[in-house]
Amino acid sequence: MEKLRLATCNGGEGKRTVIPVGDVRIGEDFVVIAGPCSVESEAQTLRTATAVKAAGAHMLRGGAFKPRTSPYDFQGLGLQGLKILEKAKRLTGLPVVTEVTDPRDVSWVCEYADVLQIGTRNMQNYSLLKETGKVRTPVLLKRGMYSTLKEWLHCAEYILAEGNPNVILCERGIRTFETHNRNTLDLGIVPSVKEISHLPIVVDPSHGTGRLSIIEPMCLAALAAGADGILIEVHCNPQEALCDRDQAMPPDMFQSLMEKLFHLQRAMTQVERGHIPSSREAPVAIH
Amino acid sequence: MNLDRIRKEIDRVDTRLLNLLNERMALVLEARRYKDQAEDPKREKALFGLLEERATRLVDKAFIGKIFEAIVSKSKALQDTDHRLVGFQGKHGAYSELAARAWDPETVPIPTTSFEDVFEGVESGLFDYGVVPVENTLGGSVDQVNRLLIRSDLRIVGAVELPVHLCLLALPETDHREIRAAYSHPKALAQCRLFLHRNRIEPIHFSDTAGAAKMLAEERPRGAAAVASKACARLYRLEILKENIEDLDRNVTRFVVLSRQTQDLEGHKCSVVFSTEHKAGTLYRVLEIFAGQGINLTRIESIPASPGEYAFFLDFLGSTEEDKVRSALEQARKVTSRFRLMGCYKEVRAS
Repeated sequence: MEKLRLATCNGGEGKRTVIPVGDVRIGEDFVVIAGPCSVESEAQTLRTATAVKAAGAHMLRGGAFKPRTSPYDFQGLGLQGLKILEKAKRLTGLPVVTEVTDPRDVSWVCEYADVLQIGTRNMQNYSLLKETGKVRTPVLLKRGMYSTLKEWLHCAEYILAEGNPNVILCERGIRTFETHNRNTLDLGIVPSVKEISHLPIVVDPSHGTGRLSIIEPMCLAALAAGADGILIEVHCNPQEALCDRDQAMPPDMFQSLMEKLFHLQRAMTQVERGHIPSSREAPVAIH
Repeated sequence: MNLDRIRKEIDRVDTRLLNLLNERMALVLEARRYKDQAEDPKREKALFGLLEERATRLVDKAFIGKIFEAIVSKSKALQDTDHRLVGFQGKHGAYSELAARAWDPETVPIPTTSFEDVFEGVESGLFDYGVVPVENTLGGSVDQVNRLLIRSDLRIVGAVELPVHLCLLALPETDHREIRAAYSHPKALAQCRLFLHRNRIEPIHFSDTAGAAKMLAEERPRGAAAVASKACARLYRLEILKENIEDLDRNVTRFVVLSRQTQDLEGHKCSVVFSTEHKAGTLYRVLEIFAGQGINLTRIESIPASPGEYAFFLDFLGSTEEDKVRSALEQARKVTSRFRLMGCYKEVRAS
């Protein structure tokens, strides 16, 4: 870890990085970033953006440039998609998080987005990392699906070393021998990151599980594990989604998740302060 | 070539045909100013003769005849109706044209190549009005125009404050990653300097913003873009790569409307230009008069008029109907070596 000069706390009790975006402070507030996997059309994006805003999301996600497993899959709308996201931002006031896949696109995506996302497949794309290090727009760096914590932090170091101090880590599940879910969401990494790094970390249970039914419990678990936020895929009409249909959450389910997160967040604040809920309300242990 | 690409070419040609027809109709209206009546059988005959000489196998005499009968009959109809022409500098889609439309949507804006052409056009009666920019919040005063205003006898009959939103325009098939250069008027390029720098685009000076958009559409240089109005995107079939690329939100240009008419209309703003003797306190004495009457000045600008002489432009809120304004003007006339009330007019703010 000695080469991680900027990404780690270096044994000291350094200040934690806090990144202000729009009305929220990433690293301080619990931030919910929601929206479609990809920008498919103006109507779909605006409808989803309005729905997540109404449910209380803090930021809008949506992909315009999509790195897909197959070259025959939907590749995203490109610059047109960025324009749609800009419109959604004007409509809802939500800051926009969107992926950048090509170093030549970095400056352009910065013109439209509030946070640049580097996807799991590009975590070790060093020319892309260096290019995002040259701007000041915050970068949400997803963990590579085969990467160790150390490798991940080295990638963050690339961005920091170029001069961009605004890096947000994002756990999105890794490949293990377990194949029941799309990926294995590694929530243990959250407190580990907190121990050795000052950078904020958010969790993406949508990709981390790939299964709609277990996204909610993993969101709650991420909050309890101390994550600084969650990144979640919401689609106004999941059946029609052009990408990652099985993990797209409909708006009503997202609304109910937001309520649960709100209550859990209050409970967690109490627990952290040492106020254990009274014994009458606490669940009874079964022997 | 495939069908899709051929159709795109056809669309481009059609856009140019329409733009050329517009240009023709504007010329027809200008020509009317030099003719007693719309009808001119001799000219018509010569025109058809000239056109038929150019017949080809694809575009034969009969076809040419049909098209130009329609064009000439529309031209004559236009000449027979009353149109008020407004001259502006630049090509269609220029900010001056947007200002002219904001001032009066019923007028017909006519493009010219220089500010001098606008002034001369109004003076000679070719145009009823002229619209010229006088100052910009980011770029300062437009020297060329102000110099012409010093010497001109034209009246200011209106003013427009136009928020200037710049767009980066490119040919529809251009990949944004390949843009290396952006053409536009130096003032427009200066207003989005930071944007261009961030995206590593080299600014290249061009005579005007809309002209740059038109050149881009017609000459199709590789890796190039233009900085111009949103209206230019529609007019020249260009794609807007990014809207509102100006470095500061409040980018406003103020235009004045010039006319030969002498009577003042109802207004709430006045413009004067004056010179004073080269002595201590002469400018102060003029300003003192306006201050004494409690008149709110909105602009004061000095421009070297001739060696050793400065012309001062003064705009203020008020109407020549008001006694305090009339009295201030009268007093100011006495303490200046040259004094001209350029006009009392209404100023509108375009959205």
